[in-house]
This record gives sequence, C-alpha cells and structure tokens, in this order.
Amino acid sequence: MANTGWDGFEIGAMLRSFDGAVDDIAGTAQEDRKYSPNNSFTASVADWRLEKPIFNKDFCIDCQFCWIYCPDISIISRDKKMLGIDMDHCKGCGICAEVCPTNPKSLIMYPEFADEETEIAQWPSKSEEK
Amino acid sequence: MVFDKMELREVEVWDGNFAAAQALRQAQVDVVSAYPITPSTPIVEGYAKFKADNYVEGEFVMVESEHAAMSGCIGAAAAGGRVATATSSQGLALMSETLYQASGMRLPIVLNMVNRALAAPLNVNGDHSDMYMVRDSGWIQFDAFNPQEVYDLNLIAFRVSEDHSVRTPAIVNQDGFMTSHTAQGVRPLTDDEAYGFVGAYKPMNDMLDFEHPVTHGVQTEEDWHFEHKARQHNDMMTYVVPKIEETFEAFEKLTGRKYNRVEKYDMEDADVAVVCMGTSVETAREVAKEMREKGIKAGVVGIRVLRPFPFAEISETLKGVKAVAALDRSAPGGAAGMLFNEIAGSLINADTKVILSGYIYGLGGRDLTKAHLVDLFNELQANADAGKILTKQQQFIGVRGPKLAYL
Amino acid sequence: MSEMKKIKNLKEFSTSADRFEGANLLCPGCAHSIIVREVLNATNDDLILGASTGCLEVCTAVYPYTSWDASWIHIGFENSSTAVAGAEAMYKALKTKGRLKQPDRNPKFVAFGGDGASYDIGFQWISGCMERNHNMMYVVLDNEVYANTGGQRSSSTPIGSSATTSPAGSVSYGEKQNKKDMMGIMAAHHIPYAAQVAPNKWKDMVKKIQTGMNTEGATFINAVSPCTTEWKFDPKDTMKLADLSTDSLVFPLYEIINGRELNITYRPKNVVPVEEYLAAQGRFKHLFKDEYKYLIKEWQERVDANWAYLNRREEARV
Repeated sequence: MANTGWDGFEIGAMLRSFDGAVDDIAGTAQEDRKYSPNNSFTASVADWRLEKPIFNKDFCIDCQFCWIYCPDISIISRDKKMLGIDMDHCKGCGICAEVCPTNPKSLIMYPEFADEETEIAQWPSKSEEK
Repeated sequence: MVFDKMELREVEVWDGNFAAAQALRQAQVDVVSAYPITPSTPIVEGYAKFKADNYVEGEFVMVESEHAAMSGCIGAAAAGGRVATATSSQGLALMSETLYQASGMRLPIVLNMVNRALAAPLNVNGDHSDMYMVRDSGWIQFDAFNPQEVYDLNLIAFRVSEDHSVRTPAIVNQDGFMTSHTAQGVRPLTDDEAYGFVGAYKPMNDMLDFEHPVTHGVQTEEDWHFEHKARQHNDMMTYVVPKIEETFEAFEKLTGRKYNRVEKYDMEDADVAVVCMGTSVETAREVAKEMREKGIKAGVVGIRVLRPFPFAEISETLKGVKAVAALDRSAPGGAAGMLFNEIAGSLINADTKVILSGYIYGLGGRDLTKAHLVDLFNELQANADAGKILTKQQQFIGVRGPKLAYL
Repeated sequence: MSEMKKIKNLKEFSTSADRFEGANLLCPGCAHSIIVREVLNATNDDLILGASTGCLEVCTAVYPYTSWDASWIHIGFENSSTAVAGAEAMYKALKTKGRLKQPDRNPKFVAFGGDGASYDIGFQWISGCMERNHNMMYVVLDNEVYANTGGQRSSSTPIGSSATTSPAGSVSYGEKQNKKDMMGIMAAHHIPYAAQVAPNKWKDMVKKIQTGMNTEGATFINAVSPCTTEWKFDPKDTMKLADLSTDSLVFPLYEIINGRELNITYRPKNVVPVEEYLAAQGRFKHLFKDEYKYLIKEWQERVDANWAYLNRREEARV
C-alpha cells in the first residue's frame, strides 16, 4: 500500500479485512475470499526465512499435525488433504517438520536457496529410529 | 419489554446532574458504562433509577473504575451505538489514557464532566483542573454555565459527536456543586421532541456489522502516526466547527434558546471585559451590569466551546476592547493560565492594542465573589485609562495570605 | 445458542477456514498464533475480538495491515476485557432494541491478553468483567514474561527464571517470586467456566473453548504459550516445549466449573521430570549450576504438591 497523505485514508485508522460485504467467512476458503489490500494475507514475510520446509507428498499421511501447529497459517489443507505450503506466509520456523510423524518425514527443512526438485529427488529414506 | 416515556412539566426544577441524566434518558443511549465519583455520581444514579423504573431500554454497565468506564464506552461505541458516561476530577485522571484512544479511534461518546479540583490536596469541589487536563485530548468540549445548559448541550453533543463528518467524542462540562447540585428551573423538551432532535444513531465502521469485519485500534509508528493525528486535527478544524454552528441553529429553531461558541454579554461597546467559564460567567454578568451603572463599560465573554477553540471569534470579540482579563480556574503549574495563553494567541496577530491580564481564581471551590469582580473590573478600567498594564500579568484572587502576582 | 461446530478429529478440524491471517509479525515459532487459531477455529459463529497491548496486538494490527478476519478492537494494555465487555453490552442493547443488522447471528465475544496484560496491569479490568459475568471469554496467552518489550518479569514469571528485570547473576538465581495462581483467583469469582489449556493438546483445548463459548456468562482461559524468544529455545521446538510443560505437570490441564467443580482433563501417561522441562529452556540455564540445584528439587516438589492439590480438589467435588 502506497504511503498516502493525511487525507488519504479512513478516519480513526480503521482497517477493513475484506473488500465489500462478506457472508460466511468461517465457511469460505482463503482463495475464495475478497481480501482488502489491508489484510496481511496480501503481504509476504517470505524474506524472513533462512530455512524453508520442503513438502514431499509421497510420504504424507494427511494427519494434519503440520496444519494445526503451524503458527503462520501456511499449511494449505483442503478437504482433509495436505496440498502444500504457502510460501508467502511461511517464516521458516520448522515446527511443521518437527511435528511431522512419518518416516521418512514428509516435511524437511532446507536452506532457503535449496532447489525443491533436487531435494525431493534425493529425499532421505526410512530411518531406523524415528 | 418496551420502555416507558416520562411526562415532564413545562418547567422542571432540576440540578445539573439530574438535567444530564434526563438528557441521557431522552437520547435513548444504548450503553452507559460508568463509575461513580463526586460530584458527578447523581448522573449515573439518576440513570440507574431510570433503568430500574423501565424508563431506559439500553444497557447500564456499572464497572469497577473510571478507566474501565471509558474502556467499556469505547468497546460499546466501536460495536456501533449511542454511548455516554459521566465523571469528575480524579476519575477523569484515571480515565484520561482512554480519552485519547476514543478520539484517535474517532468514536462518538458523550462524557458529562462535572468539574472538580484535582488532588493533592484532595478536594471534591468545583474548579476547572479536570477540564484543562484533557483539553488536548482531541475531544470536543462544551461548557454549560447552569442546569438548563447542561440539558441542552447534552442533546446537542450527541448530534454533533455522532455526525459522520465529525465522529469525535464530546465532553459537556458543568461546575461541580455550583451547577451539578444547584436546582434551578429547567425547560425540558418532551421525550419525543428531544429524541427527534438528537436523531436515531447511524452506525459507521461498527464491529457488530458481521458482513463488514473491521479492525479498530491499530498501531502506527513514525511512518503513519503523524498523518492520522493530522487528520484528526483537520477534521476538528474543518468539520466540527460548522457542525456545531448548524446544530446550535437547529436547536434555536426548536427551542428558541440560542447558543454561540463564544457567548457575549454587553460586549457591543465594552471598554473592559472578563473572559471566563462555568458559573463564573453568570456572576460576572451581574457585576458587569452594576459596573455599567457606575459608568464603567464592562462586558463578559463566556467560552461555550473550549475545543475546538474559538480562536477567530475570540479575536474578533476582543480586539476593540481596551483591557481584558482572562479568568483561569485551574492551578497554572508554572505558566500563564490556559485561557490567558489561548486568548493571547488569538490576539497577537490581530490589529489591536488590547491589554490582557490573567487571574487565577476559585481553586478547590473557593467562591468568586461579586466583590472580587468589582475590584477586577476596576483594575481593568485603570489599565484601560493608563493605556498599559499596571499590575503583574498574572494575579491570584480570593486566596489568603500576601498578594500573589507573577509575570 | 447456536449449534456447536463438530470436530471429531484433526482431519475434520483441518477443514476449518482460518479467520486469523499470516504475514503477521509474530516471531517464527510463536505459540500465540497457534493458540489463537485453535480458539478461533473452534467455532463457525461470528466473532467479536479484542486484544490488549502486547505481542499479539502489535504483531497483528500494524497499520496498514490487519491479520484479523473478524471484527477486532485494541484500546490499551489493560483493557481488552472491558473493551469486549462494552461491545457485548452494545450487542445486548441493540438486540433488545431490535437494531442488529444481522439479528440471526450468534456472535462470540473473545478478548485476548498476555500474562502481563492479564496477571498484572489488566487484572482489575478482568476481575470486573468476570464479576459482572459478561457473556464473553477472556483468554490469557501465558508466556510468563513481558515478551513484547524484551523480557521483563511479570507476576506470571516463575521462580528461578532469568528475566531482564529479575536477571540471574553472580549472586542471584533470577526471579524470586512464585507464579500467581490466576486460575484459582478467576475461579474464585465463581464464573461458570475456567480452564487451563495448552496448544499441543488441541482436542482438549477445542473442547474447553467450545464449552466456554457455549456457556452463558463469563469464561476464563489460561493458555500456556511457549515463547521461543524469551524462554530461549529453538523456534522449531515450540510444540516440544508445550509437551514438556503439560507432561511435566508444570502446566496441568484442568477446568473449574462454577468456581467449585474441578476436573483434571489430561493425565500424562509418562510424567516427565520438571528438570527436563527446565533444561530445555535458556531462561533456567543457571539453575543447573551446583549452588542452585536445590531450586530444581524445590520446583519438582512444588509441581508435585500442586498436582496433589488438584487431584484432591477433583476428588472432593466441592
């Protein structure tokens, strides 16, 4: 949002979450919402990350541990399936990889510059001790 | 449950507190969140009794402190409805943090402030220390000089404060005890007339509109804060003043009672004048009339709207006067009085030779007597005759001990 | 009363559409937002939310961005409880007067505050809201420190913790006072429902939040919120710390109904020694010096005594 002058915004520094009227937000997926430009959903914290999670769906059991424990609403789960990671909002904390119960893990932290395809190609195999 | 209306006489005998409680009832306030403190307590007591007797349909939340009282008002106002409370002195001091938040969030709230001294030493009587303390808090401030005006200005305050171009909270001041506890004749409107004048509350940015979720009370740092505060001041200067004028006119049409941001008494040809607030205005008017009989052309200026300050009107009113006294009923704490400073500011660039002197008076409910005012007008006349100020610029009146004069 | 959202298992829960958004400014690994998500996702009803000044507030409503998809208000450090209570009063007033724009909704009123805002500066405001029994929920995000301002001690900071205003040093083991028993105090208001929750035990938490939200009157929730920054652990270990806190019984999970009936809602199969909980955090590092090891023993004794007390309360049914 551009830096506007004193006459360029709502009184009281009030912010709207959405553009226009909304009906049932608790029943509307993020991709179907009309976010206002003032909603932090429209912003990115990708540049906070030093490490990023890489998701290997081959091992995922859709347990949703990563979804429930992600502090940044960055695990994209739809219809009980884990689809991937919202890389605009992931801060790279690593909780998802930590709580992932599969063996090998379906989520592993890699340096931010790592290449996803390369890492998935050389994904670790099942380890003896989980 | 439908609430009952109240039959009122053409003239009721009400003190300022009861007049305020009646105005809140007639305005059909949705939420009153309040905490009792002398001398404003009877306002919330009166309102509580109205609620108990089914004259009020809204919520009455009796909280555990004045800070919570205004916090509740802010939450209620943001939710989207008509909100009011009352306080005084120490209560205002505790509440003061939230006054800035209410105005910064642009939430209309009407606060009845029954003016009382600030401790220490503890004192329950009337002076304007509390009014002065929050003068820069971004609230509109009206000042009533008697119970009738308390009633009228409450109705006016809702209409101004809630206007969508204004959306700024408003204080209605009255003198502790002198107005709040002194019963006088008050001509009320009928319940329907009063509510009709205030109008139905029109929500804006209301939290309870579930189709339009809203975030209130954000943080802004050096990148945004200045712009938001500038907007607040701009709206006070640009929108609030005409809205007050317009509302005063509408009120005059309805009742015949005319209010002005600056009230002028015998000022057309005045050589000397005092500027003051509260009940002192009425005392000063009486003395001014007597001074005229003695050949001194005395006038009185009452500040009806302290914020936004009537800068140009004060300048216009006073620039032809020879000597003016600013009467400040608040301990100045190492400076000239607030009114002295505001008036000096409004005159400094005007084409005038007016001599301005300041008087500190009436602290902690000390009476301002007619004798004080006679002496004061005589001092002003002497200044006018000499063409210069013959006293110090700041004097204390009505205090025991050696004469106090500074500056 | 609206129908409670059905959440049988985590898969079902994961179909929730969050009303709290990313790109907020909370630290990576912050438990606050995990707790907030679990609270908000426990219902599909409309929400009126408030937050006191603190980490949650300064990180989710910094102009020109909001991370809230439901109406939300912040006033000051001490008064999110009363702000939400004021909104609840307005809701009641407008309902009585028939002026609600969407009269068929069943909004839930929830205020959040950190332990500083709740145990300390906002204590009186919360007490007032509980005593008046507003139909609202107050949730403490209890990270036992003023984290937003850099780690000063609060009355929730536990004994032996090194905080910036109670630092450990050559002659000090840090914080000297015991954590305030906020649950006990709040329950003493005889509010219909009070509960302690932890984000790792999401099912327990969601059940309690739903119970609270569907209870008429004021409800109080104390949520342990492991703080990567001030407890000094790696951000990836937030849930591990939450597990240690509940499984060591440092944060026992229980509820108190009407100020009387106490139910323990989680009994760890394997109780972890308190020492392990302390050892996982930098704020307690100095306790492992020889001269302070007695404090670890005392810690364990205190936790054991509290657990015994809770069990006796539960058995007594009074």
